[in-house]
Amino acid sequence: VPPEVSLSVAPEGEMAEGFQMSIGPDLNEVVRVNQTFADFADSHALPTAVRRSVNVALDELLTNTVNYGFLKRSDGALSIEVDLQPDRLTLTLIDNGAPFDPWIRIAPDTTLSMESRRIGGLGIHLVKKMMDESRYEYRDGKNIVVLVKQVLPENG
Amino acid sequence: MEISTRTQGDVTIVGILGSMDSVTSPQAQQALEAAVSGGAKKLAVDFTKLDYISSAGLRVMLGTAKQLKASGGALRSFGLNQTVKEVFDISGFSTILAVFATEDEAMRGF
Repeated sequence: VPPEVSLSVAPEGEMAEGFQMSIGPDLNEVVRVNQTFADFADSHALPTAVRRSVNVALDELLTNTVNYGFLKRSDGALSIEVDLQPDRLTLTLIDNGAPFDPWIRIAPDTTLSMESRRIGGLGIHLVKKMMDESRYEYRDGKNIVVLVKQVLPENG
Repeated sequence: MEISTRTQGDVTIVGILGSMDSVTSPQAQQALEAAVSGGAKKLAVDFTKLDYISSAGLRVMLGTAKQLKASGGALRSFGLNQTVKEVFDISGFSTILAVFATEDEAMRGF
């Protein structure tokens, strides 16, 4: 399946901009998504901290889906939609993998000593803390994860 | 990702350029393991040119810190940008790993 990236511009009179792309069950595709997002962030002068937070979130969530959600299927497909409004960035991730609500996991104990620390669950915890909104629903056989990050003027 | 290794006195400094994510972290792990198995006891990770780190990168940092501790060594890191610092803070890594603002501070008393 050839990579798909489509750029869309909102109808006249609206300030929204964004892009949509689809990937298959391949970790290297996660790199492509993160690069595409970084290019989009650059061309839209997004604050660096916002771009970096989203890069972290995409790595965590897309990797989870590719590694676990697509375990039992060879036709795994994931679409990533980015919508930029003047004050907020919305990411919608839709996949046809096993039903999985990432936000129901219990937060890991981040106060344990070095010896007792485990990494499991930490990625999702990071995303939840770094984004301003995180939602999930399972509809028509698809996982739909929505992330919102506020875009405030860069400080310093 | 690009990785550079240099030494200053008895401290081995590993610099990581780019991102430590699920795809690139194995490469960082390899470099850090090579430094430790090469005999480095004092290891400093230079994050000055690190763009962002995800849990895959945290896993590598934790593994390296444990490995060094077991062999009587120590790990320090410096130069974290705002997002990397935020990831360290949220995950509690700021309290279990020695984090310094600058290279000078990381070298002091190491």
